[in-house]
Amino acid sequence: MGEKVEYFINGAGIISPQKTFDSNVFLTDVAQYDKNVLTCITPDFKAYINPIQMRRLSRMLRIGLSAATICLRDSKVFMPDGIVTATGYGFLDETAKFLGEVLKQNEKQLTPTYFMQSTSNALAGLVALTIKCMGYNNTFASKGYAFENALTDVMMQLNENASANFLVGAYDEAAEVQYKASMRVEHFKKECINNLSLFETPTKGSIQGEGSAFFMLTRKQSVSTWCGLLDMHVVYKPEGNELNDALKTFLSKNHIQPKDIDLIVSGASGDIDHDAILDSVIQSSLHTTFQTRFKHLSGEYCTATAFALWLGASMLKNQTVPEVVKVKKTQLPERLKNILVLNHYMGKSFTFILLTGLD
Amino acid sequence: MKQQTIDELIVELREELIKQLNLEDTLPEGFDENTPLFGEGLGLDSIDSLELVVLLDRNYGIKLKDPKEGRHVFQSIRTMAEYIAKNRPQV
Amino acid sequence: MSHRVFITGFGIITSIGKNAEENFQSLVKGNYGFGPLEVLETVHRNSLSACEVKFADKELYEQAGVDAKQGFTRTSVLGLISLQEAINDAGLTHEEVKTSGLVSATTTGGIREFEKFYYELMDPELQGDFVRFTDTATSGEHCERLADYVGIKKYLGTISTACSSSANALMHGAQLIKNNKLDRVICGGAEALSKFTVNGFNALMILDKDHCRPFDSSRSGLNLGEGACYLVLESEAEVNRKKRKPIAELKGYGNANDAFHQTASSPDGAGAYSAMKLALSSARLNPDEVDYVNAHGTATENNDLSEGLGMKRVFGNTIPYFSSTKPYTGHTLAAAGSVEAAYCLMAIKHQMIWPNLNYKHMMPELGIEPITTLKQKIDLKNVLSNSFGFGGNTSSLLLASV
Repeated sequence: MGEKVEYFINGAGIISPQKTFDSNVFLTDVAQYDKNVLTCITPDFKAYINPIQMRRLSRMLRIGLSAATICLRDSKVFMPDGIVTATGYGFLDETAKFLGEVLKQNEKQLTPTYFMQSTSNALAGLVALTIKCMGYNNTFASKGYAFENALTDVMMQLNENASANFLVGAYDEAAEVQYKASMRVEHFKKECINNLSLFETPTKGSIQGEGSAFFMLTRKQSVSTWCGLLDMHVVYKPEGNELNDALKTFLSKNHIQPKDIDLIVSGASGDIDHDAILDSVIQSSLHTTFQTRFKHLSGEYCTATAFALWLGASMLKNQTVPEVVKVKKTQLPERLKNILVLNHYMGKSFTFILLTGLD
Repeated sequence: MKQQTIDELIVELREELIKQLNLEDTLPEGFDENTPLFGEGLGLDSIDSLELVVLLDRNYGIKLKDPKEGRHVFQSIRTMAEYIAKNRPQV
Repeated sequence: MSHRVFITGFGIITSIGKNAEENFQSLVKGNYGFGPLEVLETVHRNSLSACEVKFADKELYEQAGVDAKQGFTRTSVLGLISLQEAINDAGLTHEEVKTSGLVSATTTGGIREFEKFYYELMDPELQGDFVRFTDTATSGEHCERLADYVGIKKYLGTISTACSSSANALMHGAQLIKNNKLDRVICGGAEALSKFTVNGFNALMILDKDHCRPFDSSRSGLNLGEGACYLVLESEAEVNRKKRKPIAELKGYGNANDAFHQTASSPDGAGAYSAMKLALSSARLNPDEVDYVNAHGTATENNDLSEGLGMKRVFGNTIPYFSSTKPYTGHTLAAAGSVEAAYCLMAIKHQMIWPNLNYKHMMPELGIEPITTLKQKIDLKNVLSNSFGFGGNTSSLLLASV
């Protein structure tokens, strides 16, 4: 079974509401939150950013630049051929700060810093500027599948240049304005919960999360390789049996039988309606497969697929499955080989990613 | 608007600059009112000069029309203080 | 990866016209869209001018055939008007639309509505008509809105690389076709003026209160504009199957980063140079085969110098005809790349070169001059369109006659 591995993840860096920036621990000391907003546990930024540059960087730019730097160091690729980033809401905190000033000061006496930092491509530009990377540079801002667009883009660049290394990453922040505006439309739970009980609250809505993760994608295996990336597919607003059919097509196209999948990373968000769609897909063809989930650790955000990708790649690299992500424990093979990421964002867009471990 | 002396303005501007431009961690050794703000001295850039244009307007009621004017005004904290003393609206 | 990508239709709305024909007529007659702000509610109405689409939202809803209650933002309704025109122009059937991809660009999406209802939206207890604009602070909202309306599901993507966004959308679309992921992709961008953008650029002190003057030694900033434009890209196989003559070929593209400053271009035009070079090499063309460059030419002191130096580096002593059409439309930000790609298509089709309005005095540091009057009966085979932006993003597209 199995296709030839086309793409490799040769490094990663992630800052999230868990202590993920430290690669010596793997979701062992789990952070708990008693309100429905999960924010990043950040490293000492000075380890990644020089003070002169740091001076005017927003919190999320610091987080993003640090995650990118961790990835560059991990992959030992210090000059990638291109940089592609993804975001759902962009730098919404800075957008709100500038907008707040525009409205409060009646459009007078405004400084440009928040405005400059509010553009969605500010992070890709900042990373390029920091490492003086003049190569390909792109940013997708497509709600629940921006990171998926970015992966597609990078895979296409790698198809044109098989020896290239591309830095691909995502960021989204738990912005207060999004939380407030979205409460009305039930994106987030009305009742306050502890993040670890996310899946024991069968109500509408999820909890708000954030994070930034970067990966080094290439077509060459190296000593830094975490795992192989076989394929990815997005289904937008599926109707009827469309999602089930799409998954079957996706697996068969990659010559993978359901029995070949060792483990599923489920993007269940704790929203009773949305998760039901995902569950029905898992029930119909993958009901005996070992299952993990992560949004009680990361919270829900547009580019949470990047957290899922990091989790899957980490499990393949470390050959361990952290206790806190396990849902359905069935027999695992001695060596984890194939992982299927099945994510959704607000029940509207669905993502399949196939990862494979390398011997 | 109370009319500070040049020396009072220098003290006030130093505080304001550090606060507005997040300079706490980056002040060079021996930074004083004569240290060049741009280039070799403090290393401010074009965006900082836009921040300073707004600072002049907000705190002292002075409007610079052309950002290029700022190059002369923002040489150092002292040149800023002198410019403010000369150009602020008289009470 | 040898597939060719063709442009089979387009639609456009800007301050100089609500469709392709009106835009063409304005370009020919030298009619520009610059004037006082009359539609956007802002305190700057008397002090700042821009290139506004002079229709109220209500009129735009009527043109697009949608109801105000559907919650289209000004960005998305501008988008819909040009998207519908593009679909008709390419003669796409409903089935063909459904199997297309949509790659759309915007910088601020529906921030205009978000800022208008900001205080209402921030109060979770309130209900009302404003709720339809809940998600409009995201760039991706407009793309889903458009895709849902015309029935596209196969591939959606929103690109936001500041002022180069829709050039990158076209490039992404072309690559989706070359990689056999799609046969047909509709690509472009949409951008409405907002208080947010007007004040942001004003705070950067790069707006000219007067009509902008690209590549002129007296230039002192840009004029903002609004609009939308979409192009239909199709694979060679599709074009052959339908036996319909395409308008042009999207023959090459280049994307690079200037890596110089967050909001300024490098003094030597390194990013501009790379983008143009890459576009030429991907089209397998030599610099001397380029007949016209539609420059980014924003009329900021910084951009025009950097871009001009980049052009000189690419083309040496024989600079092709070039002009900036920004004085016509203003800088339509994320839409600029597709708007100007459409102007290049019109140039190729009608054998004309659009004048760089308001040019009088040569920049001494450059020593090159744009086209200043309408040039006719010019055989244009290969045309470059430049789009550069904040964050160092620089992109260039090569459009060729067929």
